Amino acid sequence: MYPPRSILPLLLIGPLLAAGAVAPAGLDRAWSALADSRPQDVLRQLRRDADSRADRLVWAAARIGAQPATDANMREAEVVLAELETGPDEIAAEAAYLRARIYQLHLNEPDFAQAAQLYAELARRQPESHWAQLGLVKLGLLKLYLLPDLADPGADRLAAAEALLPRIHEPLLRRDLELQIGQAGIVLHQPQARFLPHLIAAAQAGGITGTAREDLIVQIGVLSERAGDWARAREYFERYLADYPTNVRAFTIRQKLGKVTRQLAQEGGA
Amino acid sequence: MKKRRSRYLGLGLLLAGYTFALFWVFTRSTPVISSRPVTIRIAHWQIEKGPPDGVDAIIKRYEELNPRVKVEQVLVPGRVYNQWMRTNLVGATGADLIEYGVWLDGLTDIPARYFEPITDEMMRPNPYNKGTALEHVPWVQTFTDGLMNQRVNAPDPGQFYAVTLTEVSERLFCNQELLRTITGTDQMPATFADLRVVFERIRAYAARTGRPIYAMAGARDNASWLMQYLLQGAMLQRSQRNDRQGNLAVYPWEELGQYLEGRWNYRTPEAQAGLALMREVSLNMKPGFVQSLRDAATQEFLRGDAVFIFAGTWDGTSLRRLATFPIAVYRFPQPTREDPVMGPYFYGAFADGGGGTAMEFYLNKSSAHPKEAIDFMHFMTSVEGNQLFTDHSGWLPSIREVKVPSDIMAYRTPLDCYSFGAEYMTGMGSTVAAAVMRNLYLLTETHGSVDQFVNAMEAAMPEAVRTDLRKEISNRAIIVRPQDVTIMANAALGWRSGPEGSPLLARERLESSQTQSEGLMLLMGRQLEVAGPGK
Repeated sequence: MYPPRSILPLLLIGPLLAAGAVAPAGLDRAWSALADSRPQDVLRQLRRDADSRADRLVWAAARIGAQPATDANMREAEVVLAELETGPDEIAAEAAYLRARIYQLHLNEPDFAQAAQLYAELARRQPESHWAQLGLVKLGLLKLYLLPDLADPGADRLAAAEALLPRIHEPLLRRDLELQIGQAGIVLHQPQARFLPHLIAAAQAGGITGTAREDLIVQIGVLSERAGDWARAREYFERYLADYPTNVRAFTIRQKLGKVTRQLAQEGGA
Repeated sequence: MKKRRSRYLGLGLLLAGYTFALFWVFTRSTPVISSRPVTIRIAHWQIEKGPPDGVDAIIKRYEELNPRVKVEQVLVPGRVYNQWMRTNLVGATGADLIEYGVWLDGLTDIPARYFEPITDEMMRPNPYNKGTALEHVPWVQTFTDGLMNQRVNAPDPGQFYAVTLTEVSERLFCNQELLRTITGTDQMPATFADLRVVFERIRAYAARTGRPIYAMAGARDNASWLMQYLLQGAMLQRSQRNDRQGNLAVYPWEELGQYLEGRWNYRTPEAQAGLALMREVSLNMKPGFVQSLRDAATQEFLRGDAVFIFAGTWDGTSLRRLATFPIAVYRFPQPTREDPVMGPYFYGAFADGGGGTAMEFYLNKSSAHPKEAIDFMHFMTSVEGNQLFTDHSGWLPSIREVKVPSDIMAYRTPLDCYSFGAEYMTGMGSTVAAAVMRNLYLLTETHGSVDQFVNAMEAAMPEAVRTDLRKEISNRAIIVRPQDVTIMANAALGWRSGPEGSPLLARERLESSQTQSEGLMLLMGRQLEVAGPGK
């Protein structure tokens, strides 16, 4: 006398709940709750010491996302994440990434050096994991602006971030770091030849949304014009006018386009 | 016999009353239980003449198309709007769609805390544009300015948060009859130099006749708009020089950072020229005007006590509907290269509107009906919905393909002028704005001067700028921190829904915009670090 198959899942609920685990559909619901900014729902549903590693990861993520965001809550999440990151799977990579984020962003007093170390360790252990790749982008940001020491005027900050680029194989993440290196180059008063190629690489990768894309096209046009690269300036000014014809900057760009077109004509490059 | 007749009369009256009641119940009254299960609310402070009518027209048509949904318009006076918004959002009782402006004092954290991005929707066509020329155009590109202002002000550079209903500009509204009476002609001054002549003639007329007439209607709001306009024009050269990024735009956080780097302040000659022009104009306003709000300037103009009022096109419908005299609308006459004050710093004609759209509506994170709220957003910014708004409000549209009525064509700013966005005043941040408004009287009152204003501002700026830059960083942190969990959740859901799943796209976009925001936070932090503590 076997029970009908249709009630088997129902029979499994009891043992699963007893083990503190959540069935895959339940796990999806938990992640959906987090995607909808409802971490308290997850914390009500899951236990910190659930048997399943996946459940413990969701719990830690919910603890990070829950309000109030106190250091005590972050430390509690970090204990779970530190234990999870010792595994060989993707969950370990996710846990290591979140742990680094706690140190970089979520503590009242961030510990950037510790965050950088955790990103670097993750990239060494699981270099092809998405989270390691994303961690390298964040590590690049820290190297551009903060590490090793802001007071060190001799530090070649761009070079430190550039060294990470070959290790980032995901095109969109590589694009994001290229963009950040380009922007930092301007702020850090680097020569244009040093940072403009990064901005161009980011623009060529495509897919940037919002103001950032619009700014990038203008930037490359204007910086190329300043460098006397009339052909590239014209290319980007024309692209801007095609994509954003009614923007208030269009008037200025039309003036600039006229100027670079005249320059090209004079130099026989039109 | 008489008794029977009166009984019939009573029954007749009863029957007539009953019939009337039936008629009323079935044709006129509102049902006790609404037949529309969903109610959404849209709140704004635009209680001038025009916009409430425009929004009503949109709602009426929307409810015809969507019998399930009832839309309520909540009108909140500007004086209490900030408090109303803050308390309602904190208490999770706010309207579903809420108007917000980045310049609202002390509310810069609001979008990050309480509003939901609508980036994914912006990338897809507006369903209510079916059958129009915009049928296949992504929603964001249906706006006349591509939501330029909204993107600049978005708390997260890669995300869209709001839709806009109207294009705004600033204009000089003129009492034509009064101008003719005083100057003997309808001819409007073409340049700032010509305007000086008209000011002189108005002053002479007032002195001669004893009538308390001023050239410009005055209030702190109108003065503030005028000062932003004149300062951004005077500072164009400086903005261009400071544009190291090559953006052809200076964002508020850049204005703050550039101040800390010593690349501008109110003592720079360009700024002093702009302030001097402002003082010149303000001396043609009623003394003590900085104590008054815009309603007072409107009333002064409508009473015929001022020839001109400098106002946003948002005041246009009120002025036109309430005035008993014909009103002409002009672009404010600008200084030229020959101008004795601003000539040395002349860069070119500067923007008096720039085509940006406004009246930004944001989706409340706590909305009980986000799907319906977004649907209503779609309708109000569709060709049909925005045409209804334009026709009933007398305000410009924000959507391409909407026909602009001829009587408001003058509000439109052609793309014939420069703008770097920076106005070096209230737009930088709420602390700087408060300092400007606190000290404005030093510039505009008879006994004031440019020097007095500059000295007071330069005493306040170092700390005010640092405070606002710190706020910029903390506001971005409010957005960026929860994104870690959202990104991870979208990744988990995306890997289950396949490579084309929307959670995966959402994750990619969020990762990218988060990195941009973090880059900005670090950059601003570095500016603060390099500048050191204020004295």
